[in-house]
Amino acid sequence: MAAEGGGKEMNEIKTQFTTREGLYKLLSHSEYSRPNRVPFNSQGSNPVRVSFVNVNDQSGNGDRLCFNVGRELYFYIYKGVRKAADLSKPIDKRIYKGTQPTCHDFNHLTATAESVSLLVGFSAGQVQLIDPIKKETSKLFNEERLIDKSRVTCVKWVPGSESLFLVAHSSGNMYLYNVEHTCGTTAPHYQLLKQGESFAVHTCKSKSTRNPLLKWTVGEGALNEFAFSPDGKFLACVSQDGFLRVFNFDSVELHGTMKSYFGGLLCVCWSPDGKYIVTGGEDDLVTVWSFVDCRVIARGHGHKSWVSVVAFDPYTTSVEESDPMEFSGSDEDFQDLHFGRDRANSTQSRLSKRNSTDSRPVSVTYRFGSVGQDTQLCLWDLTEDILFPHQPLSRARTHTNVMNATSPPAGSGGANPGSNGNSITTPGNSVPPPLPRSNSLPHSAVSNAGSKSSVMDGAIASGVSKFATLSLHDRKERHHEKDHKRNHSMGHISSKSSDKLNLVTKTKTDPAKTLGTPLCPRMEDVPLLEPLICKKIAHERLTVLIFLEDCIVTACQEGFICTWARPGKVELQKQLKTKEQQQQEKNQSRKTLKTNKPINRVKWGLDMHNKLSLN
Amino acid sequence: MWCPSMPCAGNATHTIQLPWRTEPASGGTNASALEKDIGPEQFPINEHYFGLVNFGNTCYCNSVLQALYFCRPFRENVLSYKAQQKKKENLLTCLADLFHSIATQKKKVGVIPPKKFISRLRKENDLFDNYMQQDAHEFLNYLLNTIADILQEEKKQEKQNGKLKNGNMNEAEENNKQELTWVHEIFQGTLTNETRCLNCETVSSKDEDFLDLSVDVEQNTSITHCLRDFSNTETLCSEQKYYCETCCSKQEAQKRMRVKKLPMILALHLKRFKYMEQLHRYTKLSYRVVFPLELRLFNTSGDAVNLDRMYDLVAVVVHCGSGPNRGHYITIVKSHGFWLLFDDDIVEKIDAQAIEEFYGLTSDISKNSESGYILFYQSRE
Repeated sequence: MAAEGGGKEMNEIKTQFTTREGLYKLLSHSEYSRPNRVPFNSQGSNPVRVSFVNVNDQSGNGDRLCFNVGRELYFYIYKGVRKAADLSKPIDKRIYKGTQPTCHDFNHLTATAESVSLLVGFSAGQVQLIDPIKKETSKLFNEERLIDKSRVTCVKWVPGSESLFLVAHSSGNMYLYNVEHTCGTTAPHYQLLKQGESFAVHTCKSKSTRNPLLKWTVGEGALNEFAFSPDGKFLACVSQDGFLRVFNFDSVELHGTMKSYFGGLLCVCWSPDGKYIVTGGEDDLVTVWSFVDCRVIARGHGHKSWVSVVAFDPYTTSVEESDPMEFSGSDEDFQDLHFGRDRANSTQSRLSKRNSTDSRPVSVTYRFGSVGQDTQLCLWDLTEDILFPHQPLSRARTHTNVMNATSPPAGSGGANPGSNGNSITTPGNSVPPPLPRSNSLPHSAVSNAGSKSSVMDGAIASGVSKFATLSLHDRKERHHEKDHKRNHSMGHISSKSSDKLNLVTKTKTDPAKTLGTPLCPRMEDVPLLEPLICKKIAHERLTVLIFLEDCIVTACQEGFICTWARPGKVELQKQLKTKEQQQQEKNQSRKTLKTNKPINRVKWGLDMHNKLSLN
Repeated sequence: MWCPSMPCAGNATHTIQLPWRTEPASGGTNASALEKDIGPEQFPINEHYFGLVNFGNTCYCNSVLQALYFCRPFRENVLSYKAQQKKKENLLTCLADLFHSIATQKKKVGVIPPKKFISRLRKENDLFDNYMQQDAHEFLNYLLNTIADILQEEKKQEKQNGKLKNGNMNEAEENNKQELTWVHEIFQGTLTNETRCLNCETVSSKDEDFLDLSVDVEQNTSITHCLRDFSNTETLCSEQKYYCETCCSKQEAQKRMRVKKLPMILALHLKRFKYMEQLHRYTKLSYRVVFPLELRLFNTSGDAVNLDRMYDLVAVVVHCGSGPNRGHYITIVKSHGFWLLFDDDIVEKIDAQAIEEFYGLTSDISKNSESGYILFYQSRE
C-alpha cells in the first residue's frame, strides 16, 4: 500500500511534497480501495477511474465517490480530509461478468441524498445507467452491441442536461444518447448530417426516436477522451491518431485542431475559464493549446512515460495583484474563499469578480497537473510570460494600471461584449500594442472564439470590461472573427492565413508533415515548461488526478485512491484519532466485512433483460 | 514439418501462455484461419504471410528474419539481390532465396522451412552452430554486418575487375575506403560524441556510426525516455577523467552522445538482459517500457538534417520468458495497416490494442514476461 510508507520499497515513493503554496500531504487513512485493501493485479485490465458527486446532504457529508477496479465497481461516502475512510461499508458494490467497467460519470444536476444517476461504460461497448443509492433502477444502452462493439473509453453527461449523455468508443466513434429513449432491436441506420475534415456526424434514421441520437466519427483510431468546455458549448476530443479536435458541440463545427509531437493523445482538459486546453499523450509531453488563437503555446516535459491524465487546479489558478512571480501565502486566502461545488466555474467567476470589483492590475497564473504511466505526479504553472511571450512583464503591469484606471468599472459599463466594444475604448492613452492582450485575459474565451452564437449569449458579460482597449486590439479581434466565419463556411479547421490553410488541407493525410505548421510547431518554436514538482507517488501507473477544494485525489492501477491534503488542510487531521485507534478501526472493519457484505451482483444477460423490461 | 533429426527443445518454449491465442499452437493448421481472419477483400495483393519452421531453438533467427522481411526497404533490396546473376552461395544468397521463396508462393499463407539459411548460418558462424538458445539482437547484428561485408566485398571485386579491364590502377586508395552498401543506407545512423573539457571549455566531438542503438531500460518508462537517458550528459571525473588535447592533461569533462544522422530504419535494442554480479548470470529485466506507434527523437544534435523525421513502428521482436538462455522469441509486424504475430510456424492477425501486452511488467517480482526486445521504426519520408 503506497499510503502507509516506511517499508523498504516504499522509500522511493513520496508521501508529501512542497510547492510555493505549502506542503501537500498524503493522508494514509483517507485511502480508498477495495475493502480488503489488497493491491489489484492490474496487468492487462482497464484503467482505474474515479468519479465524484456531491449529493447536497444536509449533514455536510455530501461527497460520494465511485471507482472501478478490474470487474468491480464501488460506491462510497467520500470523507475527504475530514475523516478516515471506512471501507467496510460501500454503499454499493457491483461485480460484472463478461465485461468490465471502464469509465463512469455522475449527473451533478440530478444528484440528491436519495438518488444519483451514474453512467458506467464497459469494455464490450455497453453503457449502464445505475443508481447506487436507490439500487433498484437500471437501464442498459447498446446492450446487444448493435451500436458499437468496441470498448467505451469515455462517458459523460452533456453539461446542463438531465437526460443527454455522450459515449466515446475505441472504434473512434462517439454517440449521443438520451436516457429516455431505447436503443431499438436492430442496428441503427445512419444519415449524414455534417461532414468536415476528418470527422462526420450522422443522425439515426428511424420512425420513432431512438438511440443513438447522433453518431460522431472523429479521426482515425480510438477516441481516447473528450471534455466539454466549462460553458458546455465546446467539445475537445483526443484520439489515437495524435489529434486534438475541438468542436462546437451544438452547431457541429470544427473549431480547431492540433497534432501531438508524435503518437496518440491520451487525455485532455480545459482551463477553468475555457481559454486553454491541455493534452497529454504518448510523446511523454503535456501540450498547452490556446482555444482563442488555435495554436500551441507551450509544451511541458517532465514525465518519463505516457501522460494518462491532465487536469487544471481551479483552486490554485491564481489571480495576482502584485508581482506575479511572488506567491507569498496568497493561496491561503483563496482557499478560504468559498466557491460553489461547481468547480469548473469557480476560477472564472473569481476572475471576473476580481476584475469588476477592484481596479487593481490583474495577472493570472494557471495551475495544472498531470499523472502518467511513469507513476509520477507533475504540477505545472502556466505563467504570464508563457501566455504572452512578447510582453515584458514590468511594462505590462504599469500599462495595465493606466488602462484600468481609465476604463470604467465593468459593472457600470455593462457593455455587451458582442458589440465590438468600441464604445469603451480609450484611444487617448498611448498604450503600446502588446498591452491589450494582457487586458483581454479575464475575458471568457468563448466570446473571443468568434462564434456568433456564443457572443450573443451574453453569459460571459458578467461585468467584465470586454474590449476595453485600443483600436489595434479591436482590429485584431475583428480580423479574427472574420477568419473564423470564413473557415467555418469552408468547413476547414481554423487557421490564421489562407496559405497555412492550404498547407493544412494538403497534408491532411500525412500527419508527419504537420511539423512546423500551426498544427504541430517544432520543439524549438514553443516554450518548453518544466514541472513545478515531479514526484513518484505510486508503484503502479497512475490513472486518476482530480483537484478538489481541500485536497488532490490520485489513483493508480492497483486500485488505491489517495487523498493529498492541500497546505493548511492537513491540520484538520490532527483532531483525528491516534494511529492505534485507526488500526483498531481497520481491524474491526475487516471483521465486520465478513458478515456484512452489501454486494450487488450483476450479470450480463438474463438479469439485465429483466431490468430492461422495467423501462 | 519438424525435422526429426533435430532436438525438439523448442517445444518447451511453446508452453508460454499467450492470452490472445484461441487455437492450440500446431504448425500450419491455422493458415486458412488467418486468411479468413483477414478476409478475402482485405487481403493485400502480392503479400504473403508465411511462418518459419523452428529447427530446434531457431526462434531467435525466425523472429529477426520476419521483422526484416517486413522492413520494406530491406526486403526489396534482398529480393533485387536475388534477381541479380547467380552467385556463389553465401548467407545473403540464402536469405535472398528464402525471401524470394516467400514472396513467390502461390498460396497467401503457409509455412516455409528456412533450412538452407539455417544450415548456412551454422556453417558460417560457430556461435550459431548448435541448438542453444541465441540472442536475437546478436543475430541481427551478425546478419546485418555479414550482409554489409558481402556487399562490400562484391563491390570491391567489381571495381577491381573494372580497373583491370581499363588498366587503371591509380586509384588504389579508394579500395581501402569503405563503400556504403544498401544495408548502411537503410540502417546506418550517426552518433556524435561530444566531450566538453570542464577546464578549458573546449568541445571535441567524435562521430560514430551505428546500425542499431542499444538503450538501457528503466521500470515504468517509455522508449522515448530511454532514448533521452541514452543521450544524457554524464560527467567524467575521478578515475574516468578525460585527456584533453588542449590542456594536455587529464581533466574533468562532460560527455554526451546525440544522434546526428537519423537512419531510414531505426532499430532499437532494449537492454533487457543484465549481468547480475551476485548470481554470476544474466537476468531479464521485464520492466514495462511503452513504445508508441509513432516516434520522433529528442536526443538529436542541432547541426544535422532530417532531425525531426517521423518514424512509424513496423516490427517488434518480442522476448518471452525469464532469461536470455531460455524462453522464446516471437515477432509482431505491421503490414498494410494491420498487425500480425509470427510465432515460428504460426501466423496470426492481432488487434493493435494487443500490442500493449508486449510492453513488459510493472511488477518486479515476475520476470517471465513477453516484452518488446528489438523495435524497428521506419522513417515516414
